[in-house]
Amino acid sequence: MLETTELKGHHDALSKQKRISQRMTINSESETRTGQWEDALTLVALNQDKAAYAELFRYFAPRLRAFGIKMFGNEQQAMEMVQDAMLNVWRKARLFDASRGCASTWIFTIARNVRFDMLRKKQSRKDDISADDLWFDGDYPEQEGNSSDNWDTMLMSEKLSPHFDALPPAQRMVMQKVYLEEKSHQEVSDELAIPLGTVKSRIRLALDRLRGALDDTRS
Amino acid sequence: MTHAVKFHPGLMLLEQYVEGSLSADVALAVSAHIDLCPHCQQLSRDITNDQACVLTEQQVTARDDVQEWNQMLDFITNQPVLAAKVPAHDNIAAQVANVTVNGRTFQIPRALARLAENQNKWLHLGGIATAKLPTADKQHVSLLYIDKGTEVPNHTHLGLEMTLVLAGKIVDENGEYGVGDLLINSPDDTHTPRTLADEDCLCLSVLSAPLKFNKGLTRLLNPLQQFFY
Repeated sequence: MLETTELKGHHDALSKQKRISQRMTINSESETRTGQWEDALTLVALNQDKAAYAELFRYFAPRLRAFGIKMFGNEQQAMEMVQDAMLNVWRKARLFDASRGCASTWIFTIARNVRFDMLRKKQSRKDDISADDLWFDGDYPEQEGNSSDNWDTMLMSEKLSPHFDALPPAQRMVMQKVYLEEKSHQEVSDELAIPLGTVKSRIRLALDRLRGALDDTRS
Repeated sequence: MTHAVKFHPGLMLLEQYVEGSLSADVALAVSAHIDLCPHCQQLSRDITNDQACVLTEQQVTARDDVQEWNQMLDFITNQPVLAAKVPAHDNIAAQVANVTVNGRTFQIPRALARLAENQNKWLHLGGIATAKLPTADKQHVSLLYIDKGTEVPNHTHLGLEMTLVLAGKIVDENGEYGVGDLLINSPDDTHTPRTLADEDCLCLSVLSAPLKFNKGLTRLLNPLQQFFY
């Protein structure tokens, strides 16, 4: 349907700005965080470690609940989604592959798929589009990538600067640190307390937007 | 795949696809495009990373009902985990399926494989054949085969039309579309797609409303809209 192509509220610039300022204020305490959830998942996978799982659960379950409430608009379905998603995390921990993406991304995609299938079941057709059709099982975001490298010189040019200013704040922040302040991806990751993979992703997304702004072939 | 994909879904569509908020039929077309387009594979991975990070970073207020969480935690950790051996989905190529129409066999993307296997009824009309894929939504998803040198009569879309080229090539007033290209036509867009003289074409078609044929005798096709819809 056409109306579903409207922007959802959480993409808007203001809320992104807010996220970033929140991120800036929690820098110091979250320095050690990268890797923690991946390690916990590995412990669950190896010996069904209940303590490690409880840590994951206490962090992610309330956040999935908030995501669920935003998407479903009610608590009951949100909690159903949380239970299904977190059960999958417990049962399928050994499918998690840290070399292919971070733990939070894996858990997010599980919750997204659970939610999608919950919605479809309401319409109860056995022969129907399912989350497995839409999202490739092994579709983990990659950690590394370097398609961004020959862009720094161009970025400074006047042609790009208005488009640069129009980037979503989260992407502009990362781009500014990498390209204008010449920080390494790792430094930006540490500074903003976001995973390295996310820094790289935001750079690629921003570059894609800039390319698109220059050469408007996207429909 | 020698053809470089030229027509992509917009960033907004990709974001909603990743989030899971697109209607299933539209999401299916986007997903099949992604299977065919390395560029959008990378983009959708990046968007997934970004959205997961947003989810992880959100502030949540502590809830009073610690007990409810503890009950859920106990329930989950008492469930058996998955057996060690699980079927590996190692690469997309392993999951493609074939469809045969007009004596030709085409490989179709992973996203469509399961649904396409469940259908086997092609309806033929002139050089055009369609096979409906089973979906529960109001929108209509079908495979559309157009024989070489065939023109689909000039029509207007009463709703949104998405066409993804799965094999061969299609041409209309606005350009030429090859494998992986995704055309999105809004209501009121009018076009006359056709195939070239030496190449047939297989497409995925998602329609939110019937087509309306505009010219001369082809208006007689209007009662046959169900054929395309």
